[in-house]
Amino acid sequence: MRMVCAIALVAAAALMISCGSQTAPVSPELTALGTLEVTAELAAIPGAFPPNDMYDYAYVLKYRVLKVHRGQAPGGEIFVAHYNPLKPRSAVADDKSGKIGGQVELFRAGDVHRMALDQPVDQFFMGGIIDKYFGQPGLRYWAMWTNPGTK
Amino acid sequence: MRPDGSRKRDINNTPDVNELGGRFSPDGKRILYRRIAKDAKITHDRWGSMGQLVIANADGSNPVAYGDDGDFPWASWSPDGKQVACLTKAGIEIRDLATKNVVRRMDRKGIFQQLFWSPDGKWFCGPANHMGESWTVVRMSIETGEVEPLAKYQNCTADWFPDSRRLIYSSRPANQEEADGGKLAQGVGQKPNYGWTQLWMTDTATKTRSLIYGEDGRHVYGGCTSPDAKYALFTRSPTDGGIETAVMHLMRLADTPSIGGESAALRKLFPKAKDSPKLTLGPGWEPHWTSGEIGGAK
Repeated sequence: MRMVCAIALVAAAALMISCGSQTAPVSPELTALGTLEVTAELAAIPGAFPPNDMYDYAYVLKYRVLKVHRGQAPGGEIFVAHYNPLKPRSAVADDKSGKIGGQVELFRAGDVHRMALDQPVDQFFMGGIIDKYFGQPGLRYWAMWTNPGTK
Repeated sequence: MRPDGSRKRDINNTPDVNELGGRFSPDGKRILYRRIAKDAKITHDRWGSMGQLVIANADGSNPVAYGDDGDFPWASWSPDGKQVACLTKAGIEIRDLATKNVVRRMDRKGIFQQLFWSPDGKWFCGPANHMGESWTVVRMSIETGEVEPLAKYQNCTADWFPDSRRLIYSSRPANQEEADGGKLAQGVGQKPNYGWTQLWMTDTATKTRSLIYGEDGRHVYGGCTSPDAKYALFTRSPTDGGIETAVMHLMRLADTPSIGGESAALRKLFPKAKDSPKLTLGPGWEPHWTSGEIGGAK
């Protein structure tokens, strides 16, 4: 009888893992932080991220919006400023950033992210902002929570 | 201390806390600074918003705290000493010191640290995110809010000359040659091609930039001029942001541009630069100069 129960539990756990791989659980921060929640594809990383062992900075990245979960986003592409993008999101928050985080470990062009955002970035971050897209119109959003997403 | 390095004394005598960012009022009668916990780590980018703003008599007596920790960030004296300009995420706030009330708010236009009010009262300066370049030193008209970039790419710690026309600031130019193959950098754990921070000035009337002092192997920060604009104070440190290793120096501006040390690469760029004498004043960081007579010889 004990063996049957153990097998049943293992089967249930395997089913949960399987389901989880298709639909990642949504962090509560994604639905609570900021005014906009989107799933978007990182279109490109313009240039190399500078080291931030001495200076903290935010780096503006361009995303293609795939789905708007909450709030209103301009169609097509948006610009998102990520704080110290060389750091995993789970370890990036500090006194200067305010509450930010997530599960993305590193930024790669083509990756899909589910993000909680707010704007304008100046209201959330006072520091160096590297914006290689300067000259391209559009709001600069502040990334508050960044998780891996799915198309 | 006096500018010859003599009469160095502790004007606060506060062993339980640390203090930083001292700036004398324009009339030399008071000083503002920030009071922080002894274990707080000081960083280049944050010191102006760390701890509590304190304003005391220039000899350190009668210290009065303004607000709580983090309040009055980057407070900078108005020319008459009756107000301070503060830099917050929401914008620049001009506060009346008697009432502590905000009397004016302005967009900060990308300025993000080290805000300083010009002696003539017409301008702010500071590093800003401007035209896609971060750490661009700008000046901002207080009347119109218009911003003018003065030094693009990797500049900071700007301060005004007494004439409000020129600015002194630190700059780490891109693509610096490492004539020694990077040995100096390796010696202090610095990444290859990182470069060395130099002291520069810009004349806003003529739009010209010129080197004041540079030295391969040293990062130069904390530029500040004497009230008669004949001398420059600055710090040198082997590591960027190396507050613990910074040493203060004084140099005649008439002797600049000047290059220290071997600095083979820098001397190639500035072949007419001198190797001018500089007076070493000892450890220190972000020094400031007043012509007022200071007591407090404790």
